[in-house]
Order: sequence, then C-alpha cells, then structure tokens
Amino acid sequence: MSEKLLDVKNLVVHYETDEEVVEAVNGVSFSLNKGEIMGLVGETGAGKTTTALAIMGLLPDRVANVIEGSIEWEGEDMLKMSKAQMRQVRGKKISMIFQDPMTALNPTIPVGEQIAEVVMLHEKCSRVEAMKRAQDMLAMVGIVPERYKEYPHQFSGGMKQRIVIAIALACEPDLLIADEPTTALDVTIQAQILDMMRNLQKQQGTSIILITHDLGVVAEMCDHCAVMYAGEIVEHGTVEDIFDNPKHPYTKALYESIPSLDKKVDRLHVIQGMVSDPTCLPTYCSFADRCEECTEACKQGDPTTVHLEGEHTVKCFKYCGKE
Amino acid sequence: MAKRHTPAMERIEKKNAKRKKEYRSTPGREAWKRFKRNPTALVGLVLVCALILVAIFAPLLAPYDYAEQNYGAMLQKPGPGHPFGTDAFGRDIFSRVIYGARYSLLIALFCTLAALFSGGLLGIIAGYFGGTVDTVIMRIMDIFQAIPMIMMAMCIVSVLGNGIPQLVAAVMFCSMPTMARNNRAAILRVRGSDYIEASEAIGVGRVRMIVRHMIPNAVGIMIIFFVGFLAVSIMIMSSMSYIGIGLSAPTPEWGLILNEGKMYMTSAPYMMIFPAMMIMITCFAFNLMGDGLRDAFDPRLK
Amino acid sequence: MENEKNLIEIRNLKKYFNTPRGQLHAVDNVTMDIEKGKTIGVVGESGCGKSTLGKTLMRLHSATSGSVMYKDVDIAAMPLKEFKKNYRADIQMIFQDPYASLDPRMSVLQLVEEPISVNDPKLSKADVEKKAKEMMELVGLAKRLEGSYPHELDGGRRQRIGIARALSLDPQFIVCDEPVSALDVSIQAQILNLLQDLQKERGLTYMFITHDMSVVKHISDDIAVMYLGQLIEKCPADEIFENTIHPYSQALLSAIPIPDLHIKRERMIMKGELTSPINPKPCCRFAARCPFATDKCHSEEPTLREMKPNHQVACHYAEKFMK
Repeated sequence: MSEKLLDVKNLVVHYETDEEVVEAVNGVSFSLNKGEIMGLVGETGAGKTTTALAIMGLLPDRVANVIEGSIEWEGEDMLKMSKAQMRQVRGKKISMIFQDPMTALNPTIPVGEQIAEVVMLHEKCSRVEAMKRAQDMLAMVGIVPERYKEYPHQFSGGMKQRIVIAIALACEPDLLIADEPTTALDVTIQAQILDMMRNLQKQQGTSIILITHDLGVVAEMCDHCAVMYAGEIVEHGTVEDIFDNPKHPYTKALYESIPSLDKKVDRLHVIQGMVSDPTCLPTYCSFADRCEECTEACKQGDPTTVHLEGEHTVKCFKYCGKE
Repeated sequence: MAKRHTPAMERIEKKNAKRKKEYRSTPGREAWKRFKRNPTALVGLVLVCALILVAIFAPLLAPYDYAEQNYGAMLQKPGPGHPFGTDAFGRDIFSRVIYGARYSLLIALFCTLAALFSGGLLGIIAGYFGGTVDTVIMRIMDIFQAIPMIMMAMCIVSVLGNGIPQLVAAVMFCSMPTMARNNRAAILRVRGSDYIEASEAIGVGRVRMIVRHMIPNAVGIMIIFFVGFLAVSIMIMSSMSYIGIGLSAPTPEWGLILNEGKMYMTSAPYMMIFPAMMIMITCFAFNLMGDGLRDAFDPRLK
Repeated sequence: MENEKNLIEIRNLKKYFNTPRGQLHAVDNVTMDIEKGKTIGVVGESGCGKSTLGKTLMRLHSATSGSVMYKDVDIAAMPLKEFKKNYRADIQMIFQDPYASLDPRMSVLQLVEEPISVNDPKLSKADVEKKAKEMMELVGLAKRLEGSYPHELDGGRRQRIGIARALSLDPQFIVCDEPVSALDVSIQAQILNLLQDLQKERGLTYMFITHDMSVVKHISDDIAVMYLGQLIEKCPADEIFENTIHPYSQALLSAIPIPDLHIKRERMIMKGELTSPINPKPCCRFAARCPFATDKCHSEEPTLREMKPNHQVACHYAEKFMK
C-alpha cells in the first residue's frame, strides 16, 4: 500500500449568515495517497470548492463553520493546528490554483518576481537563487524564461494559468488542489494545460485533487474520482469503477445528460428538477426528489455509504445490505 | 428540514416564523436589508434624520429667535441660559445653529437638486449618446472643473450678486462637472450590460430604454452620488458664506456664523466651535449614509 | 423569387472594429447559407468572431460590408429603422449569460411581457398578459414564478425567460449565443431539449453559437468552424466528426476530453495560442499554429472551396487531408 497523504473524515461545513444556513458540505470522507490524482466532480453548489478550501484552511472565517469532522495531513489533524502551523503546511506542502488566474496574480509585480517570492517564502535561499528557480519554473510550464520581467497583463489567459501553476508548483508541494483550472480556457488551450499538468505530475510525483464539472477531464487525468451531490460524495472509486461501472443513479443520469460525440441521440436524458438547494436539504437522501429509481425507503432516511468491491463506494439505498 | 441541525438554523427558523408569509424579495428590498445590517450606515441615517427633525422643529427647539439681539448678554460663554453662548450682538448661538440647520439643509438640497438636473442630465445625455456629443459635453465639463471651485463661486456671485438663488446657482456650477461625470459613468456602466443589448434585440425603443431600463438601474448609483453631494454642497456653501460671498446677515447659515465668529476666535472660540461642529457632523452623517447606500446598492463595489 | 431552401444567405460579410491598435477583423469575409428549419452550429475558440457574426445578423452591430439576404432582401444594408420596423421580430436572439441578460429590476412576467407590448403597442394590457402567460407555459416556467425577480432564480429558469422573450415575437430565425455554457450539465440537457422541441413545433431555424463541440454536434444539422473571423470549414454535423478536413478542425476535435476511458484519440496539441485578429497579414490565419504549414500558407490566403457536396474548406492542402 502506498502512503496515505490526506485523510478527510466526515467533514461537515456550513455557511451561516443572519438570513440562512447553507449546508455546503455534509459528511465528506475520502483519502488520497501519494502521487495520486483524484477528480472531484459535481455541479454548481455540490460543495467541491468548499471541501478544497477547508483542506487549504482558507474558509472565510466569519461565515464558514466546520461543524464536525477532521482533515488529517500525514496523520495530523489540520483543523486543530494553529494558524502558524497551518501556514507551514499551506504553500509548502499544499498549493491551490483557482479557475480565474487573475485572482492569483498581482497585476503590479512582474511574474518572475511573484514566483521568486513564493520560493523565498518557503525555502531559505538568496534572491538570486530564487530568481533562477523562477526562470526554471517558467521554462517548465512552457514559457520562455526571458519573459520573467513581464507583468501579468502581457500574457494571455492560458499563459496566465501556466504562471499560476508555476507559482503553485514553485516549492514542490506534496499536494496540488486545482479548482476548475481550465474551465475559463478554450479547449485547445485546455488540452495544452492538462498535458502539461500530467507531465509535471509524473516528474514531481505530486498528488492532485482536480475539481471539475467536466467528466471528460476526469477521464483523461485522474486515477480516482469522487462524484459529489449536495455536499456529499455519492459515489467514489477508481476511474474504471466510475466510468465503466457507475452505480449511483445520479452518476448514471449525469452520463446520459451529456451530449456524446460518438453516439447520435435525438433527445438527451434529463435529470428532472433543479440542483438541490443547499439552504433547505431534506432529511432523507438529497437526490431522492430528482431520482428515477427513488423508492419509499429513499424518502424515509439518509442512506449510508456502502462499500462495493475494491475501493468503490456508493451512497444509495439500492445497494444497502449488499455489501 | 436539514441534514444536521445547528443552533444557527434554529435561530433563523425562529426569525422566519415571525416574518409575514407573503414576503417577496425585490432588488430594492435586498438593498434595504443590506443597509439595515450596516451599523455605520444606520448611524449616518439616524444623524441625518435627527438633523432633519431639528430643521423642521427649529422654532420649538430654539429658546430664542435667531435674529433676536440682546445687548445685555453679549459674548457670553456657554452656560445655563445660552448653552452655546452668545455672539457680539447678544444673539443666542444655540438658536442660530438650530435655525441654521434649516437654511443649510434646505439650500444644500436645492443646490444638489439643481446640480443633479443640470449636470446629471448632461451626464446622462453624454453617456447615452456617446461619440461627439459625449466629447463636447465632457470637454466643457473639464474646462469647468479646471477652475478652482471657490474662484468660480466668487465669479458667479460677483456677476449675479448676493442672495439665495445666486448661491444655489454658484454651488450648482461648482458641482456640475463632477455630477455630470458620475452620472455619465453610471449610465455607461448600465449601457454596457447585457440586458440592454438583450432589450435592444427584442426591439425596445430609445425612450423606453432610457426610462424603463437605464435610469431604474442607474438610480441606485445616482442616489449614492446625490447623498454624497449634499455634503459637498454644504461645504461649498459654508465656505462661501465664511469668506463673505454667500448669504448675508442675519441669516443663521453655519458658514456665516463662522464668519461672524472669526473676529473673536481667540477670546470666544465657542462662537466658531459649535457651528463648525454642526458642519462637520452634517457632512459626516451624509458621507456615512452615502457609503452605506453604496454598499447596499452595489455589494460588489466595496 | 424567394429561395425555398435557404432562409438566410450570407455573402462576404465583414465586420471590422476600429481599435487603438488597428483594425480588428472580427468577422472577415464570411459566406454561408442557412437552411430553413435547420440548425447551423458555429464553433470556434473565444475571439474567433462567432458572437460578432450572430450580433451582426441581428443588426446589434452594423456590418462593415457584405450582404445578408433574408427572404430576398438584404437586411444588412437597409436602414436600421426599416430593419427594426419590419424584421426585428423575425430574427431573435438568446443570450449567453442568463445572469446578466435580464434587467434585474423587472419581474418574470414583466420581462416576458416586454417584447410583446413593445412590438405591438395596440395590444390591450390583458392581451399582453395572456400572451406572456402562454409563453411562460410554453417554456416551462411555473405560474408561481410570475412575480419573482431574476436574482431569485437559478440559471436554467433564467435562460427559460430569455427563450420566452425571444419566442414571444414569433421569430423565424433565432441566434442562440452560447445559451447553455453558463449552465450545469443536468440543466443544460433540459434547455437543449426545450430548444429542440420548440424547433420541431414551430419550424424554427437556429444559429447555434458555442465552443462546446459535443453540444454542437448534438443539436446541429450543419456545422461551421470559425477561426480568427473567418469561416474555415462548413459541413453536415456527422461529416465533421468522421471526415474533418481542415487541420484546425482536427485539432479542435482532438482537444476535447471525452468522458470515456476506452476511447483514446491521438491528440494534436497545437503550438501557441490564438494570434491577434488586428490588421491580419494576407496569409492563412491558422498558419502560425498549423503543424503542416508551408511557405504558401504563410504568404497566400486560402479561399473557401467545395470539396464534397455541402462540405466547404478553406485550406490550400484540403485534398491532402481528405480521407
């Protein structure tokens, strides 16, 4: 067995304001081994980003509330760490990249310096060395190192995302959380970025949590995949489990609602209704109201996570008692 | 219903139970909700309301008439009879300051309204039509703005003479360029939005576009500017009166009271402190309220 | 004589914008026919001019030169006033961003009523309301939503409002500008099905602009691929996936991640990114990124040629790439 890097257990996160409580994450558990790429798929409001922010310790203090659960990093619970300890882990061990590369780049500082800054923050090295490292990083993500003096606005969207990735990888983190890194980009640029991420992952052995709504990206990139719905992982397993043998009705319906490039269908399959409102989730299975295979039991209580063969788990009454 | 009940949920449920059922969320209500939650904005609102009440009920609140001279009580220090003291003519400063609220607020309101109708309209026209119209209007406004405000005011008063309408005109001309610029920006922002293009696509005409889509969506920003400009107007007006080109005695305008007190600045500082404080509090209140309105109407603009 | 087959014939349509850096050729010499009752999909990366093309047909932009024949009249050349009076209702548009394209200060009913009352001022208030309610029902908006404001609704419902607004004028032709890109997959399927149903019911003709190849394949009869303002390939939808000719179309297709583990395609990763459409040189616009480019490609602009019936390509070496 390879080494366990991250272990999230029963994580529950609510956003509380004066008006409402958003049940963003409701009992998410998963673990990630060294060198693995895990895909986190789901629609808007499924709790993907909240889970990632919780791991990064970047939840907005004032409204977010971790109700219960633990996030263990190499056996130590990060939720119990002090701010200073957390800062040590974040950036040095875990990095995150966001959908919009502009939010991560300071428009007034040359990109090379921004990478060097991160290097210097986490490694005791001189400015010259850091600058040298920065140029190496730029070359690694496919940007001419001579451009290190240029400012973010001089780069195109795809280039900016490359720079953000360079910053995230500058201090060789053990885990990279990528939150929809290619959603804002064109497909041909997306292909370039994904290709690059895969190569870097192979070189550095970084683990990656890849958050996306695009099942195609998951199929191309990931070893494991967790499908989220209304703040819960409804199905989790290797990509083979999820793509060749999906069990949860939501996962199955999701496949059918995507127009396919190979098959010609006249009408798309539709998941009835709307994405569940995280401010008023039912006490029973969250997907029951949209589910085609819904039974009496589904509206009575919340199903537990069932282990099928191997690592494949599914959270659905259909499989309860069939372990 | 929920997956996990937390104390926060119970609190909200209790609150919702009290609320009337027929609640409909409109953009205006959402803005008011945000405004209500902002303590500094509420402080501003309360101060402004208090000032307005003072202005309305000035005759009831003021112990003396603002012009009543009492040569037996000249230059008295603040005390039981005269809480803010008296001036060189024995007039009660407290009463004058209270009556001053009437003049200052009312004239400021007129000035700002005048600036809104002149500058605001120009800005809306410039923003909507763009091109040459925009360039011509905005360059003229640039020229206006290049002249220092007080100098411009002095010129206008020297041409038109003293008096309230002249003062209003002077303040209007001073704030017109900024007003035009702000309103133009507001219209440009609305004009660039997708729903304007979408309305164009379904065949909405020019008049309806401005009246039904652009102005309602820009009105939030315009109110913010309006409230901000009330403070600016009071400042300009007081400055003008202070240097003697605004209103004339015995009008109890705050700037004028300051002007009258400046001769006694060392011996009777209270003559200046109180009206100055009123100017400060009023501007402060309007600015607080303006900031609150900005956050309420446009939560992204913070 | 009215052409029976084609609803719209676009000839040498150009739309240039003047920018401080020079003339931006957003749409450059586009010629295509749009068949009555069919859907033409327009694909391409951001900045390829596909949205500008749609908006120029709508007269939201006025064309720099070229003609758009609709029912034997040139709607691109006529005075805007005349277009608005006689043709505005015939040609409608569904916008990309359902969050920004609805006036936030109007309720759902008001939004749907607006096009009806604006285009037929003689209609009584009651008639307008009746028709608006019919339209709401047609697109599947529940009656209870009449008084709601856009900010209270999810993306799918907002897009339904947009569709209701466009349809309420009984148009012949609808430009759909990325109508589902902002929506979640399960909602996307609902909207795509709705658009298809409406087309069948009312014999509508669509121009479907999108960057999503799987969506475009699903919904279109013909597909037009655009690159930097130019039409580079146009053919029936099935044809493009089986017999793509232009190297750019091939690269675009190979870049799409497919949610299936068993389909492995050879990926053609293009070098670089979209070049600027400002003052383009007279050469093949794709030459800079094309792996097969020769001197001819860098010096001579290819024209659109009919390679097979209904299959047009703008490439000097189209014969070479034909299967």
